[in-house]
Amino acid sequence: MNQPFDKLLDARGMNCPMPLVNARKELGKLEPGQVLKVVATDRGSIADFQGWTKIAKNVELLAQENETMDGVNVYVHYVKRTA
Amino acid sequence: MKKNGESAWTTEDLLTRLERLEKFFVLDVRNRDEFERFRLEGREPLPAVNVPYFEMLELGGKDEMVDSVIACVEQHLAGLLPRDQLILSVCAKGDTSEYVAQGLEQLGYTSANLKGGMRAWGNYYAIRAVVETPDLAIYQISRPARGCLSHVVASDGKALVIDPLRHVDVYRELAQRKSFEIVGVVDTHGHADHISGGPALASACGAPYYLHPYDAIHPIDVLPATICYEMIRDGHIFTVGRVELEALHIPGHTLGLIALRLGDQYLFTGDSIFIASIARPDLGGRAEPWALLHRQSLLKLTELPGKITVLPGHFSSLAEQNEAGLFAAPLEELKRRSQGLQVLTRGSEEEFIRYLLENLPVFPSEYVDIKRVNAGLLAPSEDEASVLELGKNVCGLSGGAS
Repeated sequence: MNQPFDKLLDARGMNCPMPLVNARKELGKLEPGQVLKVVATDRGSIADFQGWTKIAKNVELLAQENETMDGVNVYVHYVKRTA
Repeated sequence: MKKNGESAWTTEDLLTRLERLEKFFVLDVRNRDEFERFRLEGREPLPAVNVPYFEMLELGGKDEMVDSVIACVEQHLAGLLPRDQLILSVCAKGDTSEYVAQGLEQLGYTSANLKGGMRAWGNYYAIRAVVETPDLAIYQISRPARGCLSHVVASDGKALVIDPLRHVDVYRELAQRKSFEIVGVVDTHGHADHISGGPALASACGAPYYLHPYDAIHPIDVLPATICYEMIRDGHIFTVGRVELEALHIPGHTLGLIALRLGDQYLFTGDSIFIASIARPDLGGRAEPWALLHRQSLLKLTELPGKITVLPGHFSSLAEQNEAGLFAAPLEELKRRSQGLQVLTRGSEEEFIRYLLENLPVFPSEYVDIKRVNAGLLAPSEDEASVLELGKNVCGLSGGAS
């Protein structure tokens, strides 16, 4: 999938809650309309990003993907700052 | 990271406190659906509140987790969290809840973190001796969070393992510690709620794995199992050191269900008679015809000597434990207090079937896959296996005991 993004956050190897805590910080640094791509190895991040983007203001979950990177399963989240 | 006085509970600590009815409050920071599906339960209902950690981040509004926890609790949760009780923070794997426990501690709450989270609790095993003499030892090995029970019968240095659960090292370590050799492994039936450790344990010990052939066919796929097993039939005798156990074919919960009878002393009932309930007949997808078989089988079991101790395959609440922490009771006592057995022995066939069908809990969709795993038709990764086994079993009817 060729989802465009403006910034990449590599959260591989990080345990919960750090992928989401760091994504939140990075997103705050982006301009409205820009997209953050988060790559995580924590499987729980799938449900957590869904839950978080449902309740957080000015955040939209554009897509989620499962990929294999360097032989490891990774979970990719595209999050857009909407305002 | 600076740590204050907050303490960590192991899963063993947690079980001890639940069994002692200690008062504490649970702050569960997982997703709402994870909380709904599988939560901490004690002998009595535990006071708990579920606030997903990402809600704490948003409500607290700070960049860092601990700061957000502090702000969120001060502004939004202060009224919900008791000051006079310990607050146990709980999440999926025990990492996020540690930040929550730290935040609570900084606010002056007495707090603790559940180490390893709900995953560790779900995978925790407790071992209790039912009897321990040189001639006969029986150990009840449970997964308290899931309500799954397994048993080891040992005599004269030999042991038979009944319904081993997924983490087979638990049984191998017990065998080593107690100096017995596992000479056989038997599943009372093809399980739907948990992944059997049977084939893996048997192969690790070089012992045969026994199953009734009717349960070597997946009832919904109608496909044969690919696992290696020895067939048991009604009346099969297992010799373990100086004791013998007889297999009784009691179809109903599954077509190949067996109970194992050790003289007039012990009856391993698998999924037929539980302490507070009886097994459901519908997990093979054929509730009505199997309910009739179930009735015949249960009637056969209720005719056994009343003093025989029932050791079941499941429990649904820690409240079913006896004073020794065991899930065990004389058959005659269960006939008196189990609602299902009351309807069975006093009601007509029609009344009993209606009772069964009216008290069926939900049929979890994972149960079909778990049966596939147990038949060797599906091989999940460790992560997938953990997810399949999440939550408490629902192999019994929802109608409880008095």
